[in-house]
Amino acid sequence: MPYDKHMKILVVDDFSTMRRIIKNILKQLGYEKIEEAEDGEQAFTKLKNGDFDFLITDWNMPNVTGLELLKRVRADAKLKAIPVLLVTAEAEKEQVIEAVKAGVNNYVIKPFTADVLKDKLDKIFERLKK
Amino acid sequence: MSDEMDEIINDFLIETTELVDDLNQKFVELESDRDNQDLVNSIFRSVHTIKGASGFLGFNQMVDVTHITESVLKKIKDGDLILEPGIMDVILESIDMVKVLLDHIKQKDGAEEDITGLVGRLKAINDGTAAGSHEPPQMMAQPASNEQDIDMTAVLDTDLLAELEAEQAASSGVKQVGEILIESGLISEDDVDEALKIQELIKESVDVGEIPRVGEILTVTEKASKDDVKKALNKQAPPSTPAEKSDKPQQVEQTIRVDVERLDNVLNLVGELVLARNRLVKIATTLEIKYQDSEDLAPLTELTSFINLITTDLQIAVMKTRMQPIKKVFNRFPRMVRDLARQLNKEVELRLFGEDTELDKSIIEEIGDPLVHLIRNSVDHGIEMPQERQSIGKPTLGTVTLSAYQEGNNIVLAIEDDGKGIDHEMLREKIVEKGLSTFDELDKLSIKEILDFILLPGFSTAKVVSDVSGRGVGMDVVKTNIDKLNGVITIDTEKGKGSKFIIRLPLTLAIIQALMVGVNKEVFAIPLASVVETVRLVDKDIKTIRGQETVILRNEVVPVHRLADKFFIERSSDINGKMYLVVILIGEKKYGLMVDKLFGQEEVVIKSIEGFSGSADGVAGATITGDGKVVLILDPSVMFSGVKHG
Repeated sequence: MPYDKHMKILVVDDFSTMRRIIKNILKQLGYEKIEEAEDGEQAFTKLKNGDFDFLITDWNMPNVTGLELLKRVRADAKLKAIPVLLVTAEAEKEQVIEAVKAGVNNYVIKPFTADVLKDKLDKIFERLKK
Repeated sequence: MSDEMDEIINDFLIETTELVDDLNQKFVELESDRDNQDLVNSIFRSVHTIKGASGFLGFNQMVDVTHITESVLKKIKDGDLILEPGIMDVILESIDMVKVLLDHIKQKDGAEEDITGLVGRLKAINDGTAAGSHEPPQMMAQPASNEQDIDMTAVLDTDLLAELEAEQAASSGVKQVGEILIESGLISEDDVDEALKIQELIKESVDVGEIPRVGEILTVTEKASKDDVKKALNKQAPPSTPAEKSDKPQQVEQTIRVDVERLDNVLNLVGELVLARNRLVKIATTLEIKYQDSEDLAPLTELTSFINLITTDLQIAVMKTRMQPIKKVFNRFPRMVRDLARQLNKEVELRLFGEDTELDKSIIEEIGDPLVHLIRNSVDHGIEMPQERQSIGKPTLGTVTLSAYQEGNNIVLAIEDDGKGIDHEMLREKIVEKGLSTFDELDKLSIKEILDFILLPGFSTAKVVSDVSGRGVGMDVVKTNIDKLNGVITIDTEKGKGSKFIIRLPLTLAIIQALMVGVNKEVFAIPLASVVETVRLVDKDIKTIRGQETVILRNEVVPVHRLADKFFIERSSDINGKMYLVVILIGEKKYGLMVDKLFGQEEVVIKSIEGFSGSADGVAGATITGDGKVVLILDPSVMFSGVKHG
């Protein structure tokens, strides 16, 4: 798994402002190849059709939720190894447990700063190296 | 960087406004459909989303309001709190506050609102201390409290994972693959235990995401065949997540947000193209007549008609990009009617039809206020008090129906109520009392014409002027607004049964069909939408009644106005006593506009004239005709607005 500034990241959130915010933070961290999807369904299609290296998804989305997306990704032969970072709110802590069960690599609580996100990304890749 | 930030904030404003508009509608729906879990979830998600984005952008007041609202909604969602009108009022208040805060963000005024009262009330509801809030007694304990105390850094621990896995296996409704295989008698319980142990081991040694499934282990250890596991997995499928059920063909909606300015620009250019096309057609036609015999002209004719066709298609296509569903306007009405009904102690249901009907953006923006007024009127003056309704055998719940549909090149909006209707006799008395007419004059008018008095400035029939509607201003403003949109409003009412207000609007404002007319050497364009017919007259057809020139058309008296006089043009002397009358319908009233010549119908693009259009002169704007002339477009509704009835 390439952990460099060239990795291709998919940001999933039903709220376009949120996607822009996350994208903006990722850009601050030096990432360039960022794409967006507005729900789990669209995200899954994009993941299947594009060689993404990383997935950042919101939890609470209509139709296909972040958790369902995560489950689908983990169940897919081609995608199952892709690192997934879950974006969640404080009130959803109990849901993180569910996400961890479904194979999420880490989670980040809204709102977060660039430093926090970097820290989370570092942690994920540290664990993956092990 | 700050540009990027501005853009994000702009995005946030647009999206959040949309969410808030939707929320208002959803809440009202929810009040009558409290068990609709999907609706509760979607409301919760919207508030949650607003909170999330606000946190990032540092809109702290917004976070404070949405945070506590979200908590209340969570309780409602989880069934810990029953949604009562009192609670709903406070929640709606918080949604209103979100709107106010959005406005501050938009204005960039940095102003803060006093939200302590609101937040306090929401907290009281959330803590169950608010008067009138009933929490189901068995739910007094905080259900999620211990989970919240879990140290989240430990969650990623594989031990905890295993624990949770076991817990899930025990509690979840979904049967495990192992269970199904045991039930089918294919493997023993021991086999499954073994497989689970293997899974545990693997879990401890590898990373998350690589854990083989029980089924996989069973296959590898040759306890069960691949087919059997597959069958078991299929059996597992039914109670699974809805996501898997919705595995329908991937429909990815491809939309982009475009600045309205750009669309307006495109529309403008298309307008120019239409004008150029009109000229081209005219030149081609002239050449055709002049060089009838020349074969060289055929390609030009062909190309011209092709460009003609494409331009029309392009025009329609561009207009469509500006079309928006009327839902955008309708959305706010359920909430408004609810609040109004509560305020007036009435029972009113608002029914919406045809919310997907599309209208040009500019019309959508302008039609809101007139509709607000008409709906308020219906609820306030139309629908009776519940006791009164009951006493006359009507259901206590009054109904206001708002519908939209397309009819040819028009969009029709209808506001109908099943209230008390308008009493013709009382209306007549009121008209005379207000000095707007006399009984003698009213006797000559049709019922429809009498009803039109309602739309005159300074008219109000409500005996008690409430603070909701009916301050004597309003209906005339409604009419003015609709006139501005080249629309027409008509009233239909029956005493005791209810009233119906019908608004007809053009599909678009920018490009219209016009009748080109001539006076002396001047050419004018009259919007075709308001033209009923054209009649050829001779001098003796015109009779002067009480100083007003009139003409009798099929037993109907139509006042005649000379266009030449309106614009201080010298009347043509050389017309051999022949002239044309363009009969124009405004509301229910006909007016005759006398002109010298009729040139025919042309598609014109309205260009506004700075500081002149929309003025009292009756000029809507200007356009360039096929032969390159600049021509004024008349605005009959303004032109005749100063003309008294009769």
